[in-house]
Amino acid sequence: MSDIQSALRETAKKLLTEGTVTCVIGWGETRFPDKTTPIFVKTPEDAEKLVWNAHCVCGLAKYMLDNRCPEGKLAICVRGCDSRAVNRIVEDKQYKREDLYLIGLPCEGKDAPICATCTHRNPVVYDVLLGGPVPEIEVSQEDRFQAVTALEGLTPAEQYDYWQKQFSKCIHCYACRNACPACNCTECYADQYRVGWQGKQIDKAENQVYGLTRAFHVGDRCIECGECERVCPMGLPIMSQTRKILKDINDLWGNYECGLTDSRPHILGEFDLSDRDDFM
Amino acid sequence: MQLKRENLIPALRLLAAQGEILVPTAVDEKVSKFAPWDGSSAPDLALVNTTLPPKDTLFPHQEGMYRYKTAGEPSLEEIVEAPARILFGVRPCDARSIDCMDKVFLGDKYEDAFYARRRANVTVIAHTCAQTGPTCFCDSMGLSPAEAPSADLLLSDTETGWLVTAQTEKGEAVAALWKDLTAEGGEAAPAPACTLKTNMSDALAGTLVSRFEDPIWDEVCHACLGCGTCTYLCPTCYCFDINHEDHGGEGTQFRCWDSCMFSDYTRMAGGHNPRPSKKERLRNRYLHKLAYFKERYGQILCVGCGRCVGHCPSHLDITAFIDKAAERFGEGK
Repeated sequence: MSDIQSALRETAKKLLTEGTVTCVIGWGETRFPDKTTPIFVKTPEDAEKLVWNAHCVCGLAKYMLDNRCPEGKLAICVRGCDSRAVNRIVEDKQYKREDLYLIGLPCEGKDAPICATCTHRNPVVYDVLLGGPVPEIEVSQEDRFQAVTALEGLTPAEQYDYWQKQFSKCIHCYACRNACPACNCTECYADQYRVGWQGKQIDKAENQVYGLTRAFHVGDRCIECGECERVCPMGLPIMSQTRKILKDINDLWGNYECGLTDSRPHILGEFDLSDRDDFM
Repeated sequence: MQLKRENLIPALRLLAAQGEILVPTAVDEKVSKFAPWDGSSAPDLALVNTTLPPKDTLFPHQEGMYRYKTAGEPSLEEIVEAPARILFGVRPCDARSIDCMDKVFLGDKYEDAFYARRRANVTVIAHTCAQTGPTCFCDSMGLSPAEAPSADLLLSDTETGWLVTAQTEKGEAVAALWKDLTAEGGEAAPAPACTLKTNMSDALAGTLVSRFEDPIWDEVCHACLGCGTCTYLCPTCYCFDINHEDHGGEGTQFRCWDSCMFSDYTRMAGGHNPRPSKKERLRNRYLHKLAYFKERYGQILCVGCGRCVGHCPSHLDITAFIDKAAERFGEGK
């Protein structure tokens, strides 16, 4: 791992020295040995602050949206999930691919539970790849949707109780939204001040409105990075919600994964006369 | 006086007749908060800090203010809710946070009726920290894990139970209630030191305000995702928004927590936002915690509980900021 860290620092240094990019987004140390934080390297000297270890858990792609009108290229360190997040944002036309330089980092999984069901440990898009590709792990559809299947085994009343209990914990901090690369609207519906959109009440109704709206807004565009669930301070199983939608899409339309360069069009954003409607 | 461990449940039972007891409770494997005591089991006093602070006992996440009717005969009815409650097992940092909120809501010039009513009926029983958590830094912010001067009653760990120290009239009433359960003896364990340290000083508090335009704010803001985790888990963040729920002709005016990290917090009618990006928002939060509040009320608004450090999605760390600023501005202790 340290070889790749050295290569990462060298690459960042070179990109900044040669003026290829104006900033490199990667991970840096914190005061805690088990945590890293996103860092924004703007000088060749600061490239030494970049680290690559098991604690590089924070998703980085979302940060490109802090400046949607960049002067010069931005470099981002991308693991498999980050690369799919980049594809997500580029595909959603929120950033131009030519304004990015992607430093690919094959990843053997980080200190995050979601990594156990990662289907793309190697970046799916990059400009330079540091280190050789790592072997992908076999993740069956059963493994991928294990948590969803377990919930589907409950009766509707039990499912309702389960989600009710989970969403009663929601504090409307919107960390799940802010960490999500699919949540890339310039202005979120939940920030609309008009009464009748997302109410500020912390109650059953408004918590459910937020949970359901979020899930359906990102459901067919989710790249399964698991950031929503990682960042939730209240420990809500948010990925089970999103993956339920992905599972239904898989069941109805066949294998479906987002953020791959050859991803099929968004199922919920498309309409075709031949669509199934036997449930209507 | 000492309360022996085996007398804890009887002591709580006596207390239960005085009001609802809220104790540190694990909601599930990931979240803990102050929740009503179940009446029989020993509270988990080993929880160093609950995920959610006890502030919503006094300043609920959402609080009804008025019920109104506009149809027919218009009416307005104030919602008065101030149950008798005992916060049991509050850590020194959280006890201090209540002191901070008192300064805001029970000020000399303005008293917030909703808060004041609740506050009058809440008794705070603090509990010293036998150990500190990895993100605790209260002893760098002028507190001690072994003291909670603003609490009504303090329980200090001894080998066999807790020393009971009444610190206010409410506390004396509790001590009197426990008279038959307590006895002489016991020695308080020495205060543990926080593992996380930061170089906060009065001088730095003053300097930070004058560095409003310093590049440091730009440097520290980048990793921030702009969510409300830090402010909603913070025991001292007291901002709220007022809104209403209208059901055609009648409804409720309520207030609920708000966060200065959100874009709509400062957005004005017409759309202008004087804090347009996370740089301005993070700067405001840090300055409010470390400087503005001190200018107005004489103490820092950060109690060093470490919740924001422990739960930030991007692992931003206010102690790292303080040290960076102290070093840059030459305002170390």
